[in-house]
Amino acid sequence: MIPKGSGGIAHIAGRIVQDLMPRAGDVYMATDLIYLSLLLGMVAEDYDRATDVLVTEERELVAILGKASAHMKDEGLRKRIAAALEKKPASLRVSDLTARSDTLLRLLIEVHEAVETNDAAWARELDGEIWRFLEKHASLRAYEVPV
Amino acid sequence: MDIRQEQLQAGLARFLGAKWRPGTTVMDLVHIPGGASRETWRFMAAAGDESLGMVVRIDPETSLIDTDRRTEYRAIEAAYHSGLPAPEPLYLEQDVQWLGRPFSITAEIPGCQSSPDAFPSQHRQAIGEQKWTWLGKLAALDPKTLHLDDVMPAATVETCASEQLAYWAKVIVDDELHPNPIAHAAIRWLKRNLPPPAQKLSLVHGDYRTGNFLYSPAGKIEAILDWEMAHIGDPLEDLAWSMDPLWCWKEPQRAGLLLPHAEAIRIWEQASGLRVDKHAFRWWQVFAAVKGIGIWISSSEEFETSANKKPILAIAGWLMTDREQRILADYLSPHSAHRFVRP
Repeated sequence: MIPKGSGGIAHIAGRIVQDLMPRAGDVYMATDLIYLSLLLGMVAEDYDRATDVLVTEERELVAILGKASAHMKDEGLRKRIAAALEKKPASLRVSDLTARSDTLLRLLIEVHEAVETNDAAWARELDGEIWRFLEKHASLRAYEVPV
Repeated sequence: MDIRQEQLQAGLARFLGAKWRPGTTVMDLVHIPGGASRETWRFMAAAGDESLGMVVRIDPETSLIDTDRRTEYRAIEAAYHSGLPAPEPLYLEQDVQWLGRPFSITAEIPGCQSSPDAFPSQHRQAIGEQKWTWLGKLAALDPKTLHLDDVMPAATVETCASEQLAYWAKVIVDDELHPNPIAHAAIRWLKRNLPPPAQKLSLVHGDYRTGNFLYSPAGKIEAILDWEMAHIGDPLEDLAWSMDPLWCWKEPQRAGLLLPHAEAIRIWEQASGLRVDKHAFRWWQVFAAVKGIGIWISSSEEFETSANKKPILAIAGWLMTDREQRILADYLSPHSAHRFVRP
């Protein structure tokens, strides 16, 4: 267990830039080392937040899909939503949460397509709710990279 | 010098000895960083009293953008012979006997750089004026006179937008490792809101942005680079791509970190003789972000599934996808605060 994993990864990223990069044999290698350091910085961010992001989103996606299901004309889609909502993530491992997220996001894409051109009040409301989710979805994944 | 460099140096010397000057020697071979689609090296070729700086672009075993080197080379030729700043094209070689992979060689443009981080502040305005003037001049060219029909698919003013959309939508569907609901919403928006026919067809550079041109210390643009996504299409495509917020992330109000957006458009209109239709331009702005996601998703897929583990592929795939998603949400969400400039 590495409880402070993100700090550890960020430390390695810093060492790459401070200690290894000045010893790089050429500009190409130095640039690669900078990229690797940036990548590690992003991995550190994800290490710290991934479970929180995926668990929070799972809850929100379940709520949106649950609300949408009754309005979907496509019976096949309704059934797939119902089947997905009956399940839970296999564990809190990031890989299991990601697999769960992928399933729910695919359903969200279908639901969004079904509501976005519908002028009914419930559809406008749901479309707004989906866009609020998508804006948050993008901002939760934002990387703080200084480039 | 490592084995790769030694082999490359010997192969280039053999090739140039056969094609350029007998007895050519190759010196000062330097691997240029940054490029994800081709392996790029700078070197000096010398024979007798003559020497010439050159740049060789070698096909990768895998690439971020799957393009035909012939298309890129011919686009550079067309631009160069039309008086646009482009590196002088010297050789296109498909035979793998020389370097093990196909390659092209252009003349080096010495003493320049491409990094937006190094823009001399006193030359920003001038560089910006040149950037959109040259793009306007490219837009004004008649593509029929460029004789690119054999390397670029025919396009029409009515269908060029939908064809580009179909291409990049397929890339996203084929290459996405995880679902991208924002990109899919944007693709559907683009399908529902196709722009009016293009004012004209032009040679579209396809990746015209800050970072893809060389400028001198005096602030003169000396060469436009990276023509690998060139095609015939709507010139607004290049204009929208050149002004994508991704290229001015730190200063969203300054297109390409150079000029206010309205000024860039005014300069482009003046140089091209074309007008920017707001509806059409908005469509191309959204398209630019979708195309960006297509490129970055491909890059992630490449990093994940191929033997190519260049860190630039992962950086592009993770960081750029993140930013392009935020751009699209900003453009399309009904709740958006519209942080990014729209004309």
